[in-house]
Amino acid sequence: MKRLAKPCLVMCAWVALSIGCNLYAEPSSSREYSVKGAFLYNFAKFVSWPEGAFRDDQIHITLCILGEDPFGDALAAVEGKTVTGRKVVIKHCETLDDLDKCHILFISRPEEQNLSKILAKVEDWNTLTVSDIEGFAQRGGIISLITVEKKIRFEINVDAAERSRLKISSKLLRLAKIVKSEVRGADY
Amino acid sequence: MIDCVHIPFGPKTPSRGRCFWRVAMGALLLSMVAGVYSAGASDKELPLPDDLTQLSLEDLMDIEITSVAKRAQKLSEAPAAVFVITQEDIRRSGATSISESLRMAPGLQVARIDANKWAITSRGFNGRFSNKLLVLIDGRTVYTPLYSGVYWDMKDTLLEDVDRIEIIRGPGASLWGANAVNGVINIITKSAKETQGGLMVAGAGTEEQGFGAVRYGGKLGEDIHSRAYVKYFDRDSGVFSSGEDGADEWDVLRAGFRMDWQESGPDALTLQGDIYDGEAGVTAVTKSFDPYAPPTLDEDDGIRGANVLGRWKHTVSDSSEVALQVYYDRTERNGVVLDQIHDTFDLDFQQQFALGKRQEIVWGLGYRFVSDNVDNTFYGSWDPDSRNDDLFSGFVQDDITLIKDRLRLTLGSKLEHNDYTGSEIQPNGRLMWTPREGHSIWTAVSRAVRTPSRTEEDGRLNTTVLTPGSLLPLFPGYGLVSLLGDGDYESEELLAYEIGYRVRPTDRFSMDVAAFFNDYSKLRTLEPGNPSLEVSPSPPHLVFPFTADNKMDGKTYGVEVAADWRASDWWRIQASYTCLQIQLDLDGDSGDTLSESAEGESPHHQVSLRSSMDIVRDLALDLWARYVDDLPSQDVDSYITLDIRLGWKPHKGVELSVVGQNLLDDQHPEYEPEFIDIIPTEVQRSVYGTVTWQF
Repeated sequence: MKRLAKPCLVMCAWVALSIGCNLYAEPSSSREYSVKGAFLYNFAKFVSWPEGAFRDDQIHITLCILGEDPFGDALAAVEGKTVTGRKVVIKHCETLDDLDKCHILFISRPEEQNLSKILAKVEDWNTLTVSDIEGFAQRGGIISLITVEKKIRFEINVDAAERSRLKISSKLLRLAKIVKSEVRGADY
Repeated sequence: MIDCVHIPFGPKTPSRGRCFWRVAMGALLLSMVAGVYSAGASDKELPLPDDLTQLSLEDLMDIEITSVAKRAQKLSEAPAAVFVITQEDIRRSGATSISESLRMAPGLQVARIDANKWAITSRGFNGRFSNKLLVLIDGRTVYTPLYSGVYWDMKDTLLEDVDRIEIIRGPGASLWGANAVNGVINIITKSAKETQGGLMVAGAGTEEQGFGAVRYGGKLGEDIHSRAYVKYFDRDSGVFSSGEDGADEWDVLRAGFRMDWQESGPDALTLQGDIYDGEAGVTAVTKSFDPYAPPTLDEDDGIRGANVLGRWKHTVSDSSEVALQVYYDRTERNGVVLDQIHDTFDLDFQQQFALGKRQEIVWGLGYRFVSDNVDNTFYGSWDPDSRNDDLFSGFVQDDITLIKDRLRLTLGSKLEHNDYTGSEIQPNGRLMWTPREGHSIWTAVSRAVRTPSRTEEDGRLNTTVLTPGSLLPLFPGYGLVSLLGDGDYESEELLAYEIGYRVRPTDRFSMDVAAFFNDYSKLRTLEPGNPSLEVSPSPPHLVFPFTADNKMDGKTYGVEVAADWRASDWWRIQASYTCLQIQLDLDGDSGDTLSESAEGESPHHQVSLRSSMDIVRDLALDLWARYVDDLPSQDVDSYITLDIRLGWKPHKGVELSVVGQNLLDDQHPEYEPEFIDIIPTEVQRSVYGTVTWQF
């Protein structure tokens, strides 16, 4: 008993220490969201917006993040990059009220409770909605980012894209899982 | 944790379990808390390209966003001597068993004793009962506690479903525990999702009398994939050095399944199992007091077993994962020396998480229960004939990034408690320096122990019967040479020093060099005792006992080189070279005359050269040449072998192949077994053909 007491203590101390330290571990831009950020940029390349989605004087593609930004500094790599001659500009919107017209809208997970309101607001904006909220595309969003066996995959709700008059290239569709809207009592 | 090294652990602490379980329970609860709070992300694992926006969608979809657990760590980045045999390597090598495929790896010594028995080890001390290597199949330990070795004739799976075999030379004890002294072999099968659809394999040849396998993988639900297989093979016997046929035929029927449940959420479940039944023939030298007994005895060892394993993984965040694994394994063997049944129950918990930005911790707890039952024979007996043993273990490893992408320090230790020697601590420290992309240098210092096997503690093997008259004038009757286990037998200890260099100057070429110096102490010796008269079994006979003891030190050193060159899109060349030297020294008071022979039981030099060519789109030609040095303390000369495989894919999913093995000579010996007096057979030239159909 005594002989093992010391290693036991050391082990407990180690575990305690690791928990303590963990509580104060600084969040940074994670691997997951670094990759998801790059997906957003790629989506921009394979979606065409209808005429009128860009005002005459508007030369940028606006990428909005609604709610708490999970990307950290990961989107810095995307900002300023060009897609079909247009620079990508990133806008942060804390709440639904701050949300103004954007070409791509990423909805962060904590906004799940407002999802139906958000989707209703952007319905006529020709906005490509993207989120990693579970079942996002089935709930009326356009692109869901999902994790399958540690890798990122995406689902596309083609009907929702058509409603927003967005054209999605066949290449993107080929790589995606195509889903349809499902009626969920709570949301509709 | 370093403190613990100096704690004087005594053998057999009676209250072993209590404290450990208390810690285990506490730690388990705490770990749940830790898991929840360890969401602090880490960006230090597999380095991501600087600018992800340059990657195509396909590339992005290929990036693993979660860090992987200890057993799945990306080995090319590990500060250890590692080699991976892929499914493609196995298929193109023409190897028909796991044992044979291991000949591709540098640093291993693989020798066939007869058509169904192998001597396999890493970095020396080879033998049928080599005991310093740990072998796992999908996380399940497959060594037998009876002699701490592997019954290679019993351990198998559907080769086509093997994803890869990871070979870690050198101590892996700080993660995997006792017995991972000289190396770890990790056989990993594909997930059920990767083996969807059907597979049929059938073939036959001169040594392969006939083999076949069927596997089918399907979906049981939206997120549940499964597969099941059945395989059978029947191998011909080898030949004795005289050219006469042996009795070592081998046939096994095996079936198994695997189910993987993985939805998009954080949880993944795996359930898998196998069952097998077969016979492995052997010619043994008769040990008997009957003067009319035939000198040898042909027998078939019955080999039977089953196992089932479940694993649950929960991803807490992209840098934190917990896993719980439980398995049960039954191994039954009925043979010349003994009938034995082993039941193993094993429970493992593991957690991995990032501690701040620079550290990644993996820790785990394990419990194993082994119950055995042995029917004693004149050849071998164990007292008691049934025994239950508990093994408790815990490990922690901290991977610390000292300079991002450049310098990494890994510190870890395993603490283990077994019923033979009490507590054992096995720490290691590893440093990996990556001066620039494509170059890395690593070094490691580790301590590992090889805990006593059941036979070393309470077994007895009668190895030689001396006929009446041979002992005159000392004694008129029979004499018997017996090897005895000893309750005071201790663990063998190793301090290992390793250094390695890995270079990938271009995408087409890579080389891996590892060198080691191993310093062993308390190696097993067999100490002669005073002869004594024994009356049972009759007639009364004089016993010459040799008792297991720890009176030998040893030093081994060696260099292993592996090179991989993709000369062009259709031609790949893989080469390896292994150099090994063993120097053993008996203590001054040792009377052992046998154990030092291990110096000459592993080849000093081995070379393997493989060429894989895709001659035209549907035709592949593989050549594999090997040189193995002689075994000076055995009657085994050096040999060169050549295997050739020709594969043709006439239609999508269909492959026909012809394999010629050991083409350069009619037959050659590879190893003479120790302890149990069986007559080895030689490896013959052989040819076989296979049809594989995937649908």
